Amino acid sequence: MGNEQTNKSITAICWRFVHYLSAALQQEEREAVLGDFAESGQNGSEALRDLLGLLARRQVTVWKDGRLWLTLASVVLPLGLLLSVISQTMVGEARVYTWMYANNWDWALTKSAGFWYVLGEVATQVAINSLMLACWSWSTGFLLGCLSTRLLPTTRVTFLLLIGIFQIANAPQRVIHLWMYLYGLPGLTSSIDTNAPVTGIAFYRVIFPYIVLCTLVALPAVWGARQGKVGSKVSPKLRPVLIIAATITILTMLPQIPGFGLLLGSSGRQWLWDNRHAMRMLLFLTCWPMLYLVATGFRRYRQNAASG
Amino acid sequence: MYHNVVEMIGEFEYLVLTAATRLGDKAYGASIRNEIQKSVGRACSIGALYTTLDRLESKGFVKTWMGQPTSERGGRSKRLVSVTANGMQAASDFFNVVVRVSKGVSWATNRPTNR
Repeated sequence: MGNEQTNKSITAICWRFVHYLSAALQQEEREAVLGDFAESGQNGSEALRDLLGLLARRQVTVWKDGRLWLTLASVVLPLGLLLSVISQTMVGEARVYTWMYANNWDWALTKSAGFWYVLGEVATQVAINSLMLACWSWSTGFLLGCLSTRLLPTTRVTFLLLIGIFQIANAPQRVIHLWMYLYGLPGLTSSIDTNAPVTGIAFYRVIFPYIVLCTLVALPAVWGARQGKVGSKVSPKLRPVLIIAATITILTMLPQIPGFGLLLGSSGRQWLWDNRHAMRMLLFLTCWPMLYLVATGFRRYRQNAASG
Repeated sequence: MYHNVVEMIGEFEYLVLTAATRLGDKAYGASIRNEIQKSVGRACSIGALYTTLDRLESKGFVKTWMGQPTSERGGRSKRLVSVTANGMQAASDFFNVVVRVSKGVSWATNRPTNR
């Protein structure tokens, strides 16, 4: 009796895995494979073994495809690193403010008008930065979804793994240091940690960066990838427009990288300074994902209203 | 005599083409798998079957399309398979090669070899 119960539980768990893992297959193939399992009356563990075999074979095929390597080299790796750099820059700022208010809270401060003024400014700045990072991540995911529908399960997982590895290996910091060193600013590579009271706390040093990475990079990127996959299918004529829009949004990330001005040279920096107001307006392009989501939501609402 | 075989299929591809041809209108993933298991007496993995079907389709030896969902499959559709003329030719070429290459060997003539 006990064994039977255990077997039933194992079978149920296996079927749950089968349904979960089969999402990595293309929609039609998933339908056919799950139908074959149901028709042939296989038990959960047999179905799981068969499905894992199919997924492994599919992965071998995918990794032999030159387009995957091209996507990894041209989109996943550079944009993953860029987002990690910007995320870490944002973390550096946000954790200081969070520590300042959360760890040093004093109710007496709330009576000061200046306190509320600064809090308002800080909260607005952090909110705008967070929103921009989420939009850039969403656009990166969207671009991946548009460019590689068939390869998406692999590119998506690789992107998530890469940003995790970058974080563990402290890659963004190393890239910034290398960048500074290459441009003859060795002093910055050995700078003293001026935020030691904050980074000395394990939560702000270890957990906080992962919270930012998960909520503002990983989740929006996965959501964007799903939207990109759907968007490219709905309207093939619109596909190039969507790809260009996502690319422009991503390009607005570049000036946010620490030391970007060094890359431009003195004339480029002068040009940036002269056109700083126009450049600030460019940041509005970052809002493109929100416009896209509102437009598709409105379209869906109209379609539902027309059909229902 | 040299027979020109444009593209030699593999043994598992031959099994799939033969099973699909035999099943005719009823050729789809699960039925082809059953047919192969019955004929060969060995389990046929779904991974091997579906990747082989993809390969055969890319070579133009089979055509596949999604059928209607059925209740016996839990409301899921079948991936129906039809062997093309090129597929039949490729299977026939493979069979002829096997027959030719086996001529005179003990297991083909059912006679023990003289030692």
